[in-house]
Amino acid sequence: MAKVKLATSWLDACAGCEMSLLDVDEFIIDLAQAVEFTRSPITDIKEFPEVDVGLITGAIGMDEQEEEAKELRAKCKILIVLGDCACFGGICAMRNAFPKEEVLRRAYIECESVKDGKIPSSPEIPTLLDKALPVNAIVKVDCFVPGCPPRAGDIKYALSELLQGRIPVLPSDMMRFD
Amino acid sequence: MSDRKEITLTINGNQVKGKEGDTVLEVCRANNIYVPTLCFLEGLSTIGACRLCVVEIQGERRINPSCTYPARDGLVVTTHTPNLEKYRRLILELIFTERNHFCFFCAASGDCELQSQAYRYQMDHARYPYTFPALPTDTLNDFLVIDHNRCILCGRCVRVCAEVVGDHTLDFSRRGWRTLVVADLNQSLGQSSCISCGACLQACPTGAIFSKVSAYRGRTSEGKITRSACSLCGVGCETDVLVKDNNIVRIDGANLTGLKGQLCLMGRFQQVYNETPRVTTPLIRNKKGNLEPASWEDASKLISDKIKDYKARQGASSIAGLVSSLCPSETLEAFSGFMRNTVGTSYIDTLDGSSYRTIAEGISAFSKNGKGLRIESSLESILDADCVLVVGSNPLESHPVAGCYILRAKTQKKASIIVVDSRPNTFGFRADVWLRPNAGSEEALLGALEGLVAKKTKSAEKSMRFVSVAKAVEATGLGKDTIQKAAAMLSTAKNPVVVYGEGVFTAKNPKLVARVLDLAKLASHDGLKVISLKPKGNSRGAWELGIASQNGMAKAKPSMVYVLMSDDKFEMGDWVAPVDQAEFVVVQASYRSPLTDCADVVLPSPIWAERKGKYVSLDGKVGNSHKVVEPPSGIKDDVEVIAKIAKGI
Repeated sequence: MAKVKLATSWLDACAGCEMSLLDVDEFIIDLAQAVEFTRSPITDIKEFPEVDVGLITGAIGMDEQEEEAKELRAKCKILIVLGDCACFGGICAMRNAFPKEEVLRRAYIECESVKDGKIPSSPEIPTLLDKALPVNAIVKVDCFVPGCPPRAGDIKYALSELLQGRIPVLPSDMMRFD
Repeated sequence: MSDRKEITLTINGNQVKGKEGDTVLEVCRANNIYVPTLCFLEGLSTIGACRLCVVEIQGERRINPSCTYPARDGLVVTTHTPNLEKYRRLILELIFTERNHFCFFCAASGDCELQSQAYRYQMDHARYPYTFPALPTDTLNDFLVIDHNRCILCGRCVRVCAEVVGDHTLDFSRRGWRTLVVADLNQSLGQSSCISCGACLQACPTGAIFSKVSAYRGRTSEGKITRSACSLCGVGCETDVLVKDNNIVRIDGANLTGLKGQLCLMGRFQQVYNETPRVTTPLIRNKKGNLEPASWEDASKLISDKIKDYKARQGASSIAGLVSSLCPSETLEAFSGFMRNTVGTSYIDTLDGSSYRTIAEGISAFSKNGKGLRIESSLESILDADCVLVVGSNPLESHPVAGCYILRAKTQKKASIIVVDSRPNTFGFRADVWLRPNAGSEEALLGALEGLVAKKTKSAEKSMRFVSVAKAVEATGLGKDTIQKAAAMLSTAKNPVVVYGEGVFTAKNPKLVARVLDLAKLASHDGLKVISLKPKGNSRGAWELGIASQNGMAKAKPSMVYVLMSDDKFEMGDWVAPVDQAEFVVVQASYRSPLTDCADVVLPSPIWAERKGKYVSLDGKVGNSHKVVEPPSGIKDDVEVIAKIAKGI
């Protein structure tokens, strides 16, 4: 059987979900046999190829991330999102109670560790969206694995189900939002 | 209500029985049919706010919330269909997108009803746009935080505050999605009439209301809950204590909407941790005059030797024993047995002994039938009162749950409240009439009230001596109208209850107690309803053991005093002077205090959570307190320590 092609995208997130993905222990060997990792944090491939499964961690907080999510959606057959940020907005959504300008000012100018700060304005860097949004607010998502981070077991369950051709929904006793 | 007619319903195709007047939800619960709920809390009124409990009812055009739908004979109900489950999940998604319901930084995560419903409905995402409103967080209360962003507007806090606490501090303001739970007229909780009892915290299904002393310290699933009894004030509330890694995480009322289950700020928050330094090892005063750590053997031998020495030289009556009424009955019994039988002295008292003697003398002056404290009625009788006279007490401070009963009588039975207290007393602001006589003139005031009530109810007895209103006006400095108004309230009441407390005890005037009792008798129609708010958690237990029956202390001028303080707070009282003058003082206490600092021998003692025992509530009911945490190493049980000292004599 041909290997399932998988591309991952790390958006507005803290790396906890990736850590959890690596935390699946020996399942990573089975996974490597069944799955070909294309673009991922460890392969350093810049462009998304056409893949079977796209995996997103993190919310969408910047225009670049929005673009990336749309691109991956276009190039994958099934899109799975990992973690509370991708499912609900999560910790990134904490800033949504404040206007974008106030968030930038707080981070780049008012922050206690900053001296003579200024808000970056180079056209080369991505700009912040007004609100950090869950992935399904931007593109269609096929499968959600919530958790902060999702337990390794949740990820294992979701990927095993996917590999067997089913779109998983985490069972109640497995689901965690924290 | 057991005589309600039985009705038969069909729920999910099965015939089930219910009682007329039940809601559909109540019938479901009684028959073990699960229907998810959020805004429903047993014991509170139902408002159908969350719509999670919707059911299909045959003949109804649309789905209906079962918590507000009255059950009737022949009703055909379906609780679970794909359609209903679809709507329930939809409601959850709408709630989740309405405010900030991100669980990972929430104090309630793991103990949240909203979260567990979301798990139940496998809500791994929400299909609606989030609104992200920026709502305020109120942190000014000493113990409670209200984070409106986590609020689902179920109204459980509002209802528990109004219906169980009786305070009705909380209510809704504004309309629709802008609705907020506010205290009073939109004050912060810390500045409102809130009594910080924490009933709203326990009622809250989410993390919208959380406790500063318990937040992030552990979840229910991580610890162990032990059913115990609060031993602080004598109301005797039942508690559920959550302990994790030998630390108390949280104290909940065992039965929030039932009796004695709501708790108060003392029982719920102040006992979670106490930063007062503990006595952890026996201490003996050395030749230089400093207290230094000693072994249990040395300390108990020294005490035994001193007792033998004083007995031999000055007789057993040179030794006195004092015990705090915060100790459980077992400890009190062991201590009084030790002092009376082993030491052989009759000079034994409780720290609140003078309160007892005031009450006891007052009762025997009132009635010679020898029933003593048993003439008092139960705390629950307050709930049925239509007039409550509070003499010399602020129950919301000393016995908050008893105070709540009075507030409930006011809101639910339209009871009038009369407060008689010459001291500053914030309870007066909640009263219909606040009689604040000149200090020392309470007796005259009560005498005048008696006369006025007796005239109306015509139940005067020959032995009663009334005070004329004119004389009372002169003595108390109160207006004639005010006194007459209060008397009218008492005499028209069908079910008046009289509550008196520390203001009467500190006056040490048994005649005042007799006046209170006389007035209660004159106003009563069916049986005397009087309750004295005794100072400590086990005061009644100690008094019934006869420990406070005689006051020998002052007369005896003891040379040696043994004070069993346990975890009681040191407060000045008339027992301090004889202790101060004694040659040799033994103090057995949990916390360091001015008393331990001047003792010759200090013994450690466990606190309430570290021992088990029986407590007699102020209305005579026995409660069991359980050991929920292990004491710090080196601390021994009081009974064991007393036995060890007794063995050495």
